[in-house]
Order: sequence, then C-alpha cells, then structure tokens
Amino acid sequence: MDEAPPAVAAAAARGAEDLAAPLYVAWQITNECNLACLHCIEESGPGKAFADELTPGEFRAVLDQMLEHEVPYLSFSGGEPMVHPHFFEMAEHFCAGRGNLKVETNGHYLTPANCERLERLGVKAVQVSIDGASKDTFNRMRVLGRFDAAVDGTRNLRAAGVPIEINFSPTHFNVHEIGAAVDLAYELGAYSFYSGRTMYTGNAVKTWRKIVPTEEQYAEFFATLRAKAEEYRGRMRVYFHEMGLLEELRYRLVHPAALVIVLPNGLVKLINALPFVCGDLRRQSLTEIWANFQRAWRDPRVAGFVDELAVDPRKTAGLHEWIHL
Amino acid sequence: MQLAKYVRFREEKFGGVLFETRSEKVFTLNATGAAVVREIAAGTGEGEIAGRLRGRYDDPRGVLDREVAALLADLRSRGLVEDVPHG
Repeated sequence: MDEAPPAVAAAAARGAEDLAAPLYVAWQITNECNLACLHCIEESGPGKAFADELTPGEFRAVLDQMLEHEVPYLSFSGGEPMVHPHFFEMAEHFCAGRGNLKVETNGHYLTPANCERLERLGVKAVQVSIDGASKDTFNRMRVLGRFDAAVDGTRNLRAAGVPIEINFSPTHFNVHEIGAAVDLAYELGAYSFYSGRTMYTGNAVKTWRKIVPTEEQYAEFFATLRAKAEEYRGRMRVYFHEMGLLEELRYRLVHPAALVIVLPNGLVKLINALPFVCGDLRRQSLTEIWANFQRAWRDPRVAGFVDELAVDPRKTAGLHEWIHL
Repeated sequence: MQLAKYVRFREEKFGGVLFETRSEKVFTLNATGAAVVREIAAGTGEGEIAGRLRGRYDDPRGVLDREVAALLADLRSRGLVEDVPHG
C-alpha cells in the first residue's frame, strides 16, 4: 500500500535515537567453530573461543535484560553457535520469553533431533551458510566443512518445519555458481536468500588474493542476483547488498540502525565493519549501553575512521583491534 | 485479529514500533496507532477497537472509526496482522 494512514505514516521517519532500546541484537555467542573458513570475518575456528567468553549465568542475565526491554529480535551467531555447550539452554530462555530468535549456522549440527528441538522452540529462522552449489566450491571455502552436511542439515530443517534462510559469501572461485546456489536454496525450502560483498577482515586478510572476486565477476554476480530476485518474486526473497562497505558506513553515520553487535565476551560493537566498542554487558546495563551507542555514532573518531577508509580500504584489516568509545 | 506470528510490537515514547522480523522491516506508529495495536495484542475484537478508543481520545470530527478501519486494513495488507482461526 503506497499511502499509509496517518497512524503509520506520522512516525515513519524516526531513527534509532528515538527508540528506548535496540530492535535487533546480533550476538556472536562464541568464537569457537568446527570450521576454519577462508573468508571468516571473525577469525573463528577450532580452538578459537575467546578466553573470556560470557558464563552461562552472565548470558542469562543479559537475555533477561533483553526480554525486559522487549528487544524483539535476536540472532545467535559465532563462530558456530551450535557448538556452544549451552546453546539450547540460552535459546530456550529467550524463546520462552516470547523473543524472536534467528540462528546463523554452518549447518553441520542440524541433526533431525536438533531441528525438531528448534521447531518446538519456535525460532524465527535458521540461516545456513551455503557458499556454492557444489562440493568443490563449498569444501574449498569452508575448510573442514562438508557440502553434504550443510545440505542434509538444511533438509532436516525443512522436514521439521523450521523457516530457512540461506547465506552466500562470494569468492572468485564460487561466484559462477550463484544462480545454481539460489536455485538450490529454493529447492531446499528457503524463504530468503542473502548475499553481498565479501569483506576484507578476519581470515580474509590472509586469504584475500585467493578469494577476492574481480569487479567483472561482481558485476556478473549481481546481475544474476537481480535476475534471480525477479524469477523467485513471490516465492523466495533474494536479498543482496550491492553497495560497497564505504557507502554503507557513510549511510550509517547519518542513519544508525537500531542494531547492536554483541561479542562473545559481552563487549558491544557499533557495527561489524567498524572497530568501535560502545559498552560492556558484563559491567553496564543495556539501557546505559544503548545511550552510549547513540553518542558513539556521533563521535568524531567514527566519522574519521570512515574517512580514512575511503583513502585506505584495507583499514578493515584491523577491525578486531577494538577501540573503546 | 491478532499480530502475525513473526511480528513484535513495542511501545515507545512517540507511540510504538511494529517489527516484522522475517522481512526485518520496521513500522513506526504514533500514539493513536500504538493504541490500536495494543488493543489487537490484548485480543480486542476488530469491531470493538474504535469504541474502546473513543473513551480515551477526543473525536470532534468523528473520524475515529474511519481512521481505525484504515489502519487495520493497512496492517492487514502488510501482513502485520492476521485473522484468528476459528476452532
């Protein structure tokens, strides 16, 4: 509907600064992962859990704050969130409080029993990373990973009735499979497919020359995605961010999203693509951190970093050297 | 009528927000809109909402019924509310 009635339209232009709390919390619950993907922005992998990750008690306390502030939407990611020994306990705690939870996983722990458990919890969606339409590309990119395991896990989700999203990260050796990957996502029962540009940070800093697509490849990649978005219109949403990182950050400086990123140790980042930390959930309340978040986006160091990124795009290599605001 | 399965409502100083978490779209509401959604969330029947609000809001121009109906139609068309299955 183009013309909304006044009740909807009147406040349509409000930004994050008007809200009492975040609308979306993206929580990297552990940095541990069973895989060691070439492009991983978090440098996750086997044995890569932070030494100071939140304890179950601290985790529950943070979840209680989110429920108290009616944060409507939370995602668990990692690392691989399903390797966290208290994953289901935490998911159950949030879902029991009527929170909407999304799980972002590599799909290797999606056994029939786990999928049925996720369905009973009423999770909003499980997003599975399937970067390719063949074993060759998937297994090359997701070191220690198995294409068949991710696909079988996704089929288990479908059998259990869990809503499915698929995520695809492009590299120079898998971009040609994007059309087939979208088709596969639909065949697996996904309702959404996501992609965008691969970021120069984390493991990608070390592997960049092996993985970065050329601009010509990106052009073809996005053209295929545009065509697929049309092809699947009304059946599966095909989302992709064609915008480069710099453009997105410049937009966010003016329009911060009502989204915070929580790291495994409880530190809170402004956005994944910046090194700035605006709070610590071990020591501060969500209310205090949300107020800091509003101020932090206006801190000249944030705009300065984005300006420097325009000159040197490789500054994203240092996103894990956190700067506390 | 009820909020759709993946829609969450939160009250705010300016009114409220509806978050459709599948599409990740946010819809903001002014105070009157938020009052309507609060009634939906409380289980008030579609035909009773305007009457419930009339006791709380001045309606000198007599437009409340029409505006509530328009908002409900808009919420329905955006998939933010759904009819409660009979059974």
